[in-house]
Amino acid sequence: MATWTRTWPFHLMVWPALLFLIVFNYVPMAGIVMAFMDYKPWLGFTGSPWIGLDHFRALFERDDSIQVIWNTLVISVLKIVFNLIVPFTFAILLNEVRKRLLSRTIQTLVYLPHFLSWVILGGILVNFLSTDGGFANRVLGFFGLGPVFFLGDGNWFRVTVVVSEVWKEFGYGTIVFIAALANINPSLYEAAEVDGASRWKQTLHITIPSLLPMAIVVGTLSLGNILNAGFDQIFNLYNSLVYDKGDIIDTFVYRTAIIDGDFGFATAVGLFKSVISMLLIIVAYRLAYKLANYRVF
Amino acid sequence: MKARKQRKGLLWLTLALVTALVTACSGNGGKNANSPAPEGSASASATGSGETASAYKDKYDPPVTITTVWGVDPALKFKNGETIENNVATRWALETLGIEIKSLWSVTDTNNAFVTKMRLAMSSNQKMPDVVTIGDAQLAQDLIDTGMFREVGSLFDQYANDKWKQAMNLDPNVWNPYMRDGKKMGIPVLDYAYNHDYLLWIRQDWLDKLNLEGPKTLADLENIMDAFKNRNPDGLSPDKVTPLSIGFKTTMNTWMGDPSWVFGAYGTIPGQWNVGADGKLEWGSIHPASKQALETLKKWRDKGYIPAEAALWDENKTAEPAVAGTAGIIPGPYWMSGWPLLDTAKNVPHAVWKPYPIPTGPDGKAGRHGTHFTSGVTLIHKDMKHPEALFTYQNYLFDHLADPEPGSQWDIGVFKGYDYDLDANGNPVYLDKIPGGEVNINRYWLVKDGARIPDAQMKALLNLADGKEPVTRLEKEVKNNYGPETPAAAKVLMSQPDISYKDMFTGPATPTMQSKLDYLKKIELQTFNEIIYGKKGLDEFDKFVGTWKSSGGDQITKEVNEWYASAH
Repeated sequence: MATWTRTWPFHLMVWPALLFLIVFNYVPMAGIVMAFMDYKPWLGFTGSPWIGLDHFRALFERDDSIQVIWNTLVISVLKIVFNLIVPFTFAILLNEVRKRLLSRTIQTLVYLPHFLSWVILGGILVNFLSTDGGFANRVLGFFGLGPVFFLGDGNWFRVTVVVSEVWKEFGYGTIVFIAALANINPSLYEAAEVDGASRWKQTLHITIPSLLPMAIVVGTLSLGNILNAGFDQIFNLYNSLVYDKGDIIDTFVYRTAIIDGDFGFATAVGLFKSVISMLLIIVAYRLAYKLANYRVF
Repeated sequence: MKARKQRKGLLWLTLALVTALVTACSGNGGKNANSPAPEGSASASATGSGETASAYKDKYDPPVTITTVWGVDPALKFKNGETIENNVATRWALETLGIEIKSLWSVTDTNNAFVTKMRLAMSSNQKMPDVVTIGDAQLAQDLIDTGMFREVGSLFDQYANDKWKQAMNLDPNVWNPYMRDGKKMGIPVLDYAYNHDYLLWIRQDWLDKLNLEGPKTLADLENIMDAFKNRNPDGLSPDKVTPLSIGFKTTMNTWMGDPSWVFGAYGTIPGQWNVGADGKLEWGSIHPASKQALETLKKWRDKGYIPAEAALWDENKTAEPAVAGTAGIIPGPYWMSGWPLLDTAKNVPHAVWKPYPIPTGPDGKAGRHGTHFTSGVTLIHKDMKHPEALFTYQNYLFDHLADPEPGSQWDIGVFKGYDYDLDANGNPVYLDKIPGGEVNINRYWLVKDGARIPDAQMKALLNLADGKEPVTRLEKEVKNNYGPETPAAAKVLMSQPDISYKDMFTGPATPTMQSKLDYLKKIELQTFNEIIYGKKGLDEFDKFVGTWKSSGGDQITKEVNEWYASAH
């Protein structure tokens, strides 16, 4: 009983978060049944007819299904890889900046784009990358390089999407690694210095190995998003010229399900994505444990 | 032990919550199941003139409330810190009619935001507004199918005034899309005839300096575009000029910067259902003429006549170079002289835009997409307590706003300081002369654009074009608000009434459309753009037609024709 009187405030503090989780993450799961229904909002869950796996069949029967899934995978894998490498490297570099004020300023500046919405950034990028006097192409022109149709050429579109995403998000990712860096025991560096290790050797043998577990955590967690290639971004940037390289599952679901109102289909695709993500997370989790002897949970 | 107890408590709480939520949700769902729409509370003897027996009143005291939702055009301006929820028009409704317009929500309507939000509201069983005007045809059909909105035909017959009824009778087909089992489920929102028909706006000052005539054929047009680009009268370098400002980000068939007349010159209109040679409906984009049009568009893009990034440009973007004074030609409605082209003078004071007819193709054909008499539908919620209040509101607008006799209260304008103002001598002033600028109050009304009688505006404009002084309110309004060239443009437009082709399919989406239409639209836009951008050869068009037909297009065509046969 003594512990209860001491700990009850903590329990109280947990409840709002728990409630939130239940209301917004668990209760909506009941909606999964829509994936197997020809769901009509006005008929509700009880009135809509069951159609079995028709929605899943429809997802794979479209002539462009494979292409769309492939686009999603390519774009999201590239994003995951670069969103890991860039913040990782950047955190180490920033750690070497000895002027505290400078490193803090840089950290804040690179963190800022994270707060911009893709609606705004999309508009800016369209002008920035325009072949018709956009800044990027003017700079290229200065070096004698031909105008690049960044948003109208499929391959360049992928590059644009990945680079702009990394630019926007790497500051956010850096924070995690900087926190991990702060946790490295300083005595390791002191010992290395006594042994005569250069800064490069210190980075190679102390900093990087100490950061790896965190990199594995981040990588594992992001695997769950492998079928999310970033709806807001693609939707605000894509156009019919890059459908073959840039149409992803989410934009395609938006067009069929939201615009045309087929919610059952949208749910089916969402369920499909969740199942794949869960499998990937389980696999990655096991791998992380096996290879790096690291447990996330 | 203690820990176990706590866990049990938590579990219990969780369970209780889940049950509570589930029951709440399902309870809600049950209520929305099809219950018969209640009939209007008014007695059948009422004639709509405000007799004591009728619920209909010219002014409600105490005020009644009408709830609604808004999709706000991003280009719509407000002044004096007003919003769509609270502005001069909502205050007017409360003061004059005793009707309080209450907004459940509003959203800036970019990227289809209004349709999306409305769909989500519908699917999550959110509170639906008493009155909502929907422009999106498919959404309107789905909302009607929810059963949440009531039959309106009886209300309309009972409460609508003569002026409104006459306007509606100009084309009885306007009700067609909203009929369910012989019942009228939504009131069509009337729009001006030819409102979205377009013509070519050309920089007359450029033509004059180059000593060129307006284009009669596509060949003439090519000459003009070439001269605009390579011998620009304003001295702009060729890469700075957009000879023809068009865009096709989401469709080849739109309302401003529209390329569909290029297809029209070869005998089809893309992205809509046209009546074919056999009297049946056919999808314009797969017509062989589309292939020739694509060839022409590709040629124009290669020569730099159309924007290099036309595939990324939406309608508003095509107006940018026109207003900036770097575009020579822009296709658009006859009213464009007022907005946006009027702003060109701010950037290039000597710029003069003149309307020209749609040029003909090599075989003398010409075509543009036509405009239905309606721009959407107004739905009335079945639980609305005072549906007659909507008619109080709309009857007033049809009497005083649509096309009143000279000398009525809104003769010189509606709201002082908004769409007109008075100068020191008491004479009305308009547009930029209004302190703080003009705002488009017609978008503030409960029903989009207030009240319009389809043929009224064209009649007024043609009167003005013939040199008549403006007498009626509408004549004055078009003279003052629609830009100097609008009457002339109307006359140009009416010189080619026969080349206007309406989308002939206005029914609800067919079963195959629901599953296949997105894919068909996607390959269409993709193929067209790839051909125009030279990524694929012109032969790709034939392959596209084959794929279109076999991937559900033939089935959709069949279904569409079944609907057409039943509706006509």
